[in-house]
Amino acid sequence: MRLGSISLRNLRIRLVATVLTTTSIVVATALYAGILTMAEQTERRYKGSIGGYQAVVGPKDASQLELVLNTIFNVGEAPGRLPLSVCTELRSGKLLGRRSQVRHAVPQARGDSVSRFNFPVVATLDEMFTKYEWNKAPLPFAAGAPFAHSYDDLLQLANQLAAHETARRTGATEVPPRPLIRPEWRQCVVGSRVARALELSLGSTITPVHGKMGEFGYHEHPEAACAVVGILAPTNSPLDTTIFLPLGLHYLIDGHEAGVFLVQIPPGKNPDDAKHLPVDAARLALTAVLVDPKDHFGARILRMEYADKEAQVAWPQDVVPKFLKQIGNAADALAVIAWLVLLVAAVSITVAIYNTMNERRREIAIMRSLGARRAQILGIVVGEAALISALGAVLGVVLCHGAAFACRALVEDLTGVYLDWTAVAWWELWLVLGVTAIGAVAGLLPAIKGSRTEVADNLSLNY
Amino acid sequence: MIHLEQVRKSYRQGEREVLACAVERLDIARGEQVALVGRSGTGKTTLLHILAGILRPDQGTVEVVGRRLDRLSEAARDRHRGRHIGMVYQTFNLLQPFTALENVLLGALFGRGAGGDAPQRAEALLAKVGLGERMHHRPSELSVGQVQRVAICRALINDPELVLMDEPLGNQDRATGSQVLGDLLQMAADSGKTVVMVTHDPDSATRMQRTVDLAELRPAAAVGGAR
Repeated sequence: MRLGSISLRNLRIRLVATVLTTTSIVVATALYAGILTMAEQTERRYKGSIGGYQAVVGPKDASQLELVLNTIFNVGEAPGRLPLSVCTELRSGKLLGRRSQVRHAVPQARGDSVSRFNFPVVATLDEMFTKYEWNKAPLPFAAGAPFAHSYDDLLQLANQLAAHETARRTGATEVPPRPLIRPEWRQCVVGSRVARALELSLGSTITPVHGKMGEFGYHEHPEAACAVVGILAPTNSPLDTTIFLPLGLHYLIDGHEAGVFLVQIPPGKNPDDAKHLPVDAARLALTAVLVDPKDHFGARILRMEYADKEAQVAWPQDVVPKFLKQIGNAADALAVIAWLVLLVAAVSITVAIYNTMNERRREIAIMRSLGARRAQILGIVVGEAALISALGAVLGVVLCHGAAFACRALVEDLTGVYLDWTAVAWWELWLVLGVTAIGAVAGLLPAIKGSRTEVADNLSLNY
Repeated sequence: MIHLEQVRKSYRQGEREVLACAVERLDIARGEQVALVGRSGTGKTTLLHILAGILRPDQGTVEVVGRRLDRLSEAARDRHRGRHIGMVYQTFNLLQPFTALENVLLGALFGRGAGGDAPQRAEALLAKVGLGERMHHRPSELSVGQVQRVAICRALINDPELVLMDEPLGNQDRATGSQVLGDLLQMAADSGKTVVMVTHDPDSATRMQRTVDLAELRPAAAVGGAR
């Protein structure tokens, strides 16, 4: 028998009060742990995405935050489109009248998704896998390899599509045939979570869909069914939930014809006339271009002098910290609330135990008569408070992980952050110890009252 | 074993000071079994608490099991009580949420420690008083006689040199109490323990080696009530 077992027994005797008090600690701890988890995993998510690029060039009418969140973190829908010519100019290295400001520029187009999980589809080039990095190394493949789709393939397709569309729209007598999907474009690379959720392996076939299942406009694209040729290794980043397709396949999906090209409406023409206007291969629609300036000088030029009437440059290293600071501010505010809840819970411990001290006078007097020192009585009562708090804190952390498990899909939909409910952080240990310490302090007041119990007076009490 | 001299303990009752206990001199030898008797209000229980170190006298010398309790701090008196003194009360004072065995072990916990062979010693003691089959029962599940025996086991778990008893037969039928008291006195005699028992019961008092009337220990000048 130890002092701790006496504390435990006292808690069991007052089971209802113990459960209620513990519940308040559980809620406070879970709230605080949840806020920390969300803030930490958001920060990790947004700081630890792919590297090998510095800037995102996207449509001018989008906010920079929208552009970065959508392009890098798969949040929301593409905020607009920009012409292929922007990418071509960036890749030419002559955009600003100087040479070699850009090491590489990889175009992206978004719009479709796959399956009921709404995994986003990103149409891009094979350069995505060779130029860009994860943890300063090429994007890691768990199995397979990238598909093959070069910028030259894209330009060739743009020209063929433009010729076909222009002839078709202008009512030419001879319409060149619409390019067909090349067999080598019916390939895709999937992130690790996509592969796991859809039970995909190399050679599996997936079919892109448009819209959300159950919503108006939802439809599948069986003509664009493609085989999985590569599965990325887990990175706990947006890569895990992304499906990469060749841009060529994206532009040849049925129903995309109307939006494949950006059409400039001449003065005096009605927007409804756009479908009868000729299209320009250079105005093939992209949603963003990931750009890596060659050096600091190139980055400076791109930052200071880049000007395009249809495109803008967003710098994730500027945008993300501001975004995280906003999240951090919100998290700090929530953390204050969580601390207040914890404080209330601590007070409830004090009150719950303090209220029992009168009825425990005889019990304490008996223990004192057996030789218990005041410090031991103090230890027993503080131990009760600490036990309640420790139990509540542990359950709170467990609840937090459970909530992360239950809500991970919803949170990912809303914020793009995948909550890794299995991740255990060191701060959780400190949180449990901290809450236990706060609980122990909360038990001091009743403990002092208990330790001051008069022995002789209370030994003769009969209840 | 016990030496008291010029001991005086009073309480304040509003503006008035009430003398609770006054002892001119009392000596009890090691192994002696002494009954403390006296009318109500002569301070028997107060004296027992002074001997246990629960109360400190306002003045006088209190030497118990080789220590001057009147000079010790409260924590030192608590420690001394836990290690050297066993106590049995009229109401037995067992803790209801704990089993008989756990109640006995509580005595060990605050005395010489509940680790080591304490559980075995506790079980052996309970078996010796016939509670081998009932040691995992709570006090509410035991008869008054069984509760008394648990209280005695708790008093003896630390193998104390001194056992103090406050009206140990007060709450039970005479026959059962008398038998249990007899057992206790025999166990104490076998191990050379000193026993001091406060009692109103003349029969119980006659079973002790010596009877001391507290009224006779009072200094002539001592006046006032006591409890």
